[in-house]
Amino acid sequence: MTDVTLQDVRKEFDGVVAVKNIDLQIPDGAFVTVVGPSGCGKSTTLRLIAGLEQATEGTIQMGNQEVTGVEPKDRDVSMVFQNYALYPHMTARRNITFGMKSAGDFSDEEIDRQVEEATAVLDIDDLLDRKPGELSGGERQRVALGRALVRDPEVFLMDEPLSNLDAKLRIKMRAELAKLHSEFETTTIYVTHDQTEAMTLGDRVVVMNDGRIQQVDSPQRLYDYPETRFVAEFIGDPAMNMLSVDISRDGTEYEAVGPTFRIPLPEADGLETAAGAQALLGIRPESLSVADSADRSSFPAEVTVTEPLGDSLLLECRTGDQEFKLHAEPRTAVEPGDRVALTVETERLHLFDPQTGEAIYHAAAAQSPEVTSTVDSTI
Amino acid sequence: MPTTEDNMLGSLLTALTAAAERSRSAGRTTSERIRRFETEQLTLHVLAATVVFLIVLPVLIAALVSTKRAGIVTSIGDLVPGGHALSNYRRALIGLEFWRFMLNSFVMSVAVVVGKLIVSLLAALVIVYYRFPYKNAVFLFILFTLLLPVPVRFVPLYRLTTELGMGNTFFAITVPYLASATTVFILRQHFLSIPASLVETAKVDGVGPLRFLWSVLIPMSRAVLVGVSVIMFVYTWNQYLWPLVIINAESLQVAQVGLNLLRGQASTGEVAWSMVMTGSILTLLPPLALLVLFRRQLLETFTIQQK
Repeated sequence: MTDVTLQDVRKEFDGVVAVKNIDLQIPDGAFVTVVGPSGCGKSTTLRLIAGLEQATEGTIQMGNQEVTGVEPKDRDVSMVFQNYALYPHMTARRNITFGMKSAGDFSDEEIDRQVEEATAVLDIDDLLDRKPGELSGGERQRVALGRALVRDPEVFLMDEPLSNLDAKLRIKMRAELAKLHSEFETTTIYVTHDQTEAMTLGDRVVVMNDGRIQQVDSPQRLYDYPETRFVAEFIGDPAMNMLSVDISRDGTEYEAVGPTFRIPLPEADGLETAAGAQALLGIRPESLSVADSADRSSFPAEVTVTEPLGDSLLLECRTGDQEFKLHAEPRTAVEPGDRVALTVETERLHLFDPQTGEAIYHAAAAQSPEVTSTVDSTI
Repeated sequence: MPTTEDNMLGSLLTALTAAAERSRSAGRTTSERIRRFETEQLTLHVLAATVVFLIVLPVLIAALVSTKRAGIVTSIGDLVPGGHALSNYRRALIGLEFWRFMLNSFVMSVAVVVGKLIVSLLAALVIVYYRFPYKNAVFLFILFTLLLPVPVRFVPLYRLTTELGMGNTFFAITVPYLASATTVFILRQHFLSIPASLVETAKVDGVGPLRFLWSVLIPMSRAVLVGVSVIMFVYTWNQYLWPLVIINAESLQVAQVGLNLLRGQASTGEVAWSMVMTGSILTLLPPLALLVLFRRQLLETFTIQQK
């Protein structure tokens, strides 16, 4: 176990910048997930930590040691790949022990003991004499995890390890990974493009886009206090709705004004500076609901698509020329083309700068003012 | 009521007749299609058989002639198998000591195959898995040597070999063949098809390059290695000109050149073509055996080359 620190790390490939001067601190024993769309630099960041790529600029530290430029084998890390990377001609046991035996850092008894321990935890004891071709996807991934576990590394690096599994198995393995981490408490860095995986597994989630870190936070804070429009729209499914509004001020009352609606904004930091300017109003689909009757705080919209999900009814609506989605109560009697009145949970509103995309206001901060002070880009 | 019933019966009948008609006509087209398919297949098979026969014909004639006493063919009637097969083969192999040439060829071919494999495996390993400046240029240069086959290099090679004191030795017919652009190319293509994550896992786990080559790459390339080995063996086995030029001692000479010596033996008296054909068939056997034994791996290797 050790902590990992990236300082001003930059990686270029033939003039293309994959990672743009990022800073990241990963504390000892943490489970950190790195999430972002394809090509955002998340895998490159992981490979830089593994030593499979060398940073163009910046430094990487593990514990008190600087490891920039150090060979992967001398960093004491284990890596699990999306395609499992098992040697097809070796049995599961040989796959697990091959690296350990080659490195020569372990005695035979030690290897046997570690293998026994790891395979018992992963429940693969009776698969050890089979070759990867005779194992299912889930079993292969367990063997790959076993290979990473037995070396008892300082840091686990996982590059989309569950992406090749079917949905059901993925959920099962996700729970097992969480259990493994709570058991071994090894510092783990987990790259994924799946926000659900990132949110459910990580103590801390790093959101990356376009080679930059957008935000590092706990899953719930990431959802409740997105620092940029990108994070707001990337985390959560369906994505947060963005409506163009003007911010009007009347004494101490603020309102987000659109062509067809006026939504009151609870007072919190950032409103004063936003007043009188244009902004993007961020509303999560579950913060909107269909009102029984129109009143002062509701606004009219037209339903364009209905998608019954079972536990809720997903509605696509239009107001003026702006489109958005919302989760309505299941079995709500609405059809496409219906006009409905919508109300907003005003404590869950966000405002973003239309140019820079940075968050300027979170309504929820009104209830818990202390949180804004702890938001920073490191963990 | 009866009218409605009649109507219903009538329409039912029409529908049934129409359905029967449809199925009959459908049956006709299906059987027609099958017949056309059969004709196509038959034509194809006849064509293929003819081509194969034409290719094998010279070998067949050689095999027939090797069973005769004199072996001069002037009419179709001369192509009836003779009864001298056993004595001919015994005379060629033991009496005229053709086994010695074959042994030399065999040792030469095995040495070249093993040497080539070692050199090419290491070269492909470096080209695929190491980062060094001008890597692609180096690989292109290796491919460029394909434009300079051994016969083109005869004169400088001859001088080099003799000046090194290797003329007329076993080294002279093996060392010049050890570097092989073809093999490097085939192995490179194969290594590139192995997922990069395998080598990366090895790197993270601290598996050294030679151990990776020995324990991962070679076992994963078994079929391809067998395939290229067969190709290299046949290529080396069929070498004629270079051994003829560089080897003077008859005891070191290879089978392809030895064939010529068989004819020399024969020409002292009556031209015994049967002896030459016997030698030819003998020379043909080892490569043929390899091709038959390893045809699956060979096909696999050729598909890699196409990638």
